[in-house]
Amino acid sequence: MPTDLIRLDLRLRRRMLIGTAVGAAAYLLLVVAVYPTFKHDTAFDDMIASNPAAAAAFGITGSITSPEGWLSANMYANFGPLLALMLTIGYGSAAIAGQDRDGLLGLLATLPVPRTRIVAGKALSLLVAALVVPVVSYAVCLTGPHFELTPRWGPLLGVSVAVTLLAFDLGAIALLVGATSGSRGAAMGAAGAVAACAYLISSLSPVVEAVHRVRWLSPFLWAVGDGQLTRGVTGTELGALAGLGIALIGATVLAFRGLDIQ
Amino acid sequence: MTVQPIVAEGLTKTFGHDRGISDVSLVVEPGQVFGFLGPNGAGKSTTIRCLLGLYRPSRGQARVLGQDPAAGQAGFLADVGYLPGELRLPDRLTGADVLGTFRRMRRGHHTAYEDELVERLRAELTRPVASLSKGNKQKLGLVLAFMHRPRLLVLDEPTSGLDPLLQDEFASLLRETTADGRTVLLSSHDLDEVQRVVQRVAIIRSGRIVIDDTVASLRASAPRTIELTFDHDVDARPLASVPGVTLHVTTARHVTLTHTGAAAPVLTAIAQLQPDTITARPADLEELFLRLYGGTTHAD
Repeated sequence: MPTDLIRLDLRLRRRMLIGTAVGAAAYLLLVVAVYPTFKHDTAFDDMIASNPAAAAAFGITGSITSPEGWLSANMYANFGPLLALMLTIGYGSAAIAGQDRDGLLGLLATLPVPRTRIVAGKALSLLVAALVVPVVSYAVCLTGPHFELTPRWGPLLGVSVAVTLLAFDLGAIALLVGATSGSRGAAMGAAGAVAACAYLISSLSPVVEAVHRVRWLSPFLWAVGDGQLTRGVTGTELGALAGLGIALIGATVLAFRGLDIQ
Repeated sequence: MTVQPIVAEGLTKTFGHDRGISDVSLVVEPGQVFGFLGPNGAGKSTTIRCLLGLYRPSRGQARVLGQDPAAGQAGFLADVGYLPGELRLPDRLTGADVLGTFRRMRRGHHTAYEDELVERLRAELTRPVASLSKGNKQKLGLVLAFMHRPRLLVLDEPTSGLDPLLQDEFASLLRETTADGRTVLLSSHDLDEVQRVVQRVAIIRSGRIVIDDTVASLRASAPRTIELTFDHDVDARPLASVPGVTLHVTTARHVTLTHTGAAAPVLTAIAQLQPDTITARPADLEELFLRLYGGTTHAD
């Protein structure tokens, strides 16, 4: 295992990872702590039911006052994945294209480490970055019972894994575009655009028929957009998310072998 | 049989419509300091990146320590030390962190030689890289390149930012390296340094090798400069007809010329003009480089 490559990359992004973890934890703790105030407020559910399009735009489906609905509406259907994507797309675009522009990749690539192994190190670092927000979020949710919020722990764990894989996949798109083009901007732009489209497809599919027909294209839907926090994540959904990630890393290996490094 | 550390045959690299390098062929023998020179944008860094496997050549092939760098096998890099022309190290790490990280990635161990290099080059290990001067970063880069005692060192502008004392220390390191039978490919813009430390030199211009010869042979064919002053007015034009002579500065009482080849004919012609003083500079590669560079002295 390319441990030192992983250690170096994570060390270079340590502040970003810790900062995001602390921010996500603080935000979610607040969400969990105020749950008792809204738990019995049926007006919220009525509002959502009367305006499904607006609710869908924020990734909200079903009851918002149930523990799962509350966590989904305030974290898992929107802010959680977006925070995780911010970390992984940022890392994915910096890990190859960014380090190439900075000159560090040229030094690493002249070490006796095959390019496949370098990509493996980057992929494992990406996985660590993808884990940060879901792990911290799950840990904060464990305080839920102190605030009358007791979600179904199995589905919550499944969604945490799914969000990790979702963030990994979008970061892997940045990694792939960076390894293909050598451009950090192109990597970040392409992955960001895919993430935005995937989110829109997932969130609007319940209310826009045309979008509904292509909803299967969105990895957001596979992870959090289809009531997974209530019903649990299926093996097919996890397999699709994991398979996409593996395919993207495989393509990155091929692209990186042909990349001219500065 | 001894493996030649570097053999390049017809290496060509193009970047779309941009010129890269064309048909670059080189052979670097073991135990040699090989100078690689050329003006800015001539293709030195492109050639070095092809040799290290950072670039895939468009045509041609190379063998470095017996392996094809374009084949994707990184094994030969275990025996290569590389200092890039524009060294960038992780800003947040200290010098000690940088050395430790790269040592571990090479699966190496801390050695007394590494400590010796740090001491001789006076490398700063306790401060973050971001706070180091260009010279101090360069010292770290040199330690990184030398510390695993590689069979081949590829050094791009290695003395950039070093003070004269450290440049002497660097020259000593090169002598020790070649005395050990190891090989150095040295790219430098400092012609004095090149003349001092290299045995063979290649000059690249516009992506093509224009000279590949030993320094002794180049020096023998390099133009010598002679300055003449007179206490009377002279017509120096007859000197221009002597084979190998080029007149540069000519006034009625001051003449500067360069010549190549045998000295006797030009000395005979000069004597007929009865000069007051004669100043002859030893053959210097700079004159040759200036001619080959097309009027510029700096290489990238």
